[in-house]
Formats: sequence, C-alpha cells, structure tokens
Amino acid sequence: MGRDLVALVLTVVELLRQLMERQAIRRVEQGDLSDEQVEEIGTTLMLLDQRMKELCDQHGVRPEDLNLDLGPLGTLLPRD
Amino acid sequence: MAADRAVVPWDSAEPLSGPIGVPLVDLLDRVLATGVVVSGDLVIAIADVPLVRVSLHALLSSVSERVPAPWADGGPL
Repeated sequence: MGRDLVALVLTVVELLRQLMERQAIRRVEQGDLSDEQVEEIGTTLMLLDQRMKELCDQHGVRPEDLNLDLGPLGTLLPRD
Repeated sequence: MAADRAVVPWDSAEPLSGPIGVPLVDLLDRVLATGVVVSGDLVIAIADVPLVRVSLHALLSSVSERVPAPWADGGPL
C-alpha cells in the first residue's frame, strides 16, 4: 500500500514540476529576464528533474506510473 | 437559407469518443497563461457536521506585464 501512496505523491510533484517548467518557458520567451535569471531558472529546473528521477528510482516507481489515465479526458501528463 | 447548413452532431447519443489529444498539464498551463479567478465557498464536514469553512477568491495567472507580480523579487516564499 505504501508504494501507491508514494506514487501518488510523486505524481502530484511531477505535475507541478512540469507545470512550472512550462510556465518558466513562457516567462523566458517573454524576454524581460536577465541572462543570469534565465540561467538560474534552467539550472534549478534541471536539478529538480534529476532529483525527481532519483526519487522515482529510490521508491521503485517507473516514470509511466506517474502518468494517470483520465479516461475521456486523456492523460494527466504527456506520454513522452 | 439556414436549411442547407448541416447540423453539427453536438448532441450525439454516445459520450465523447476517444481521449482528447491534449495532456491535462498542457491545459492547465494554458489556463494559467490566460489567467483564471476561482471563487467559492467550501465547507469540510464529517457526518453532516460542518467543521471547516474555506472561502476562496483566488487569481491563478502567469506573471506578465498584464498581471505583474505584487513584489519585485521572489518574495518570502
């Protein structure tokens, strides 16, 4: 039972991470950020992605486990 | 004149067929980019006994020149 809970928590974290990643891309495209800010945002997102993969490996959760199938609505995350 | 227009089968009997092609996270991203206001009242109750009241007036939006951030830097959080 514990693993499903971990998978659910990691799904929510992954959802927020991908959402923030897209928002960061939009903000960078606006062009009103300094190069240093853009670099920091990129580094932070990269570290977050690595940390997410470590957590998934640590708990034995496959990346596709994080993706929920919402029936007629499609999927929660992209099936990359 | 209106007779020749084919009626779009919107109210077809069977439900939406096939998943909508867009992942939900992309929809949320677009909603945030447009900006949305969520307002409403929530009451969390157990066995019909109201315990907690949540009154929401939330603006969810991407930061842009149209919707500026309330303070310059990242702020306390």
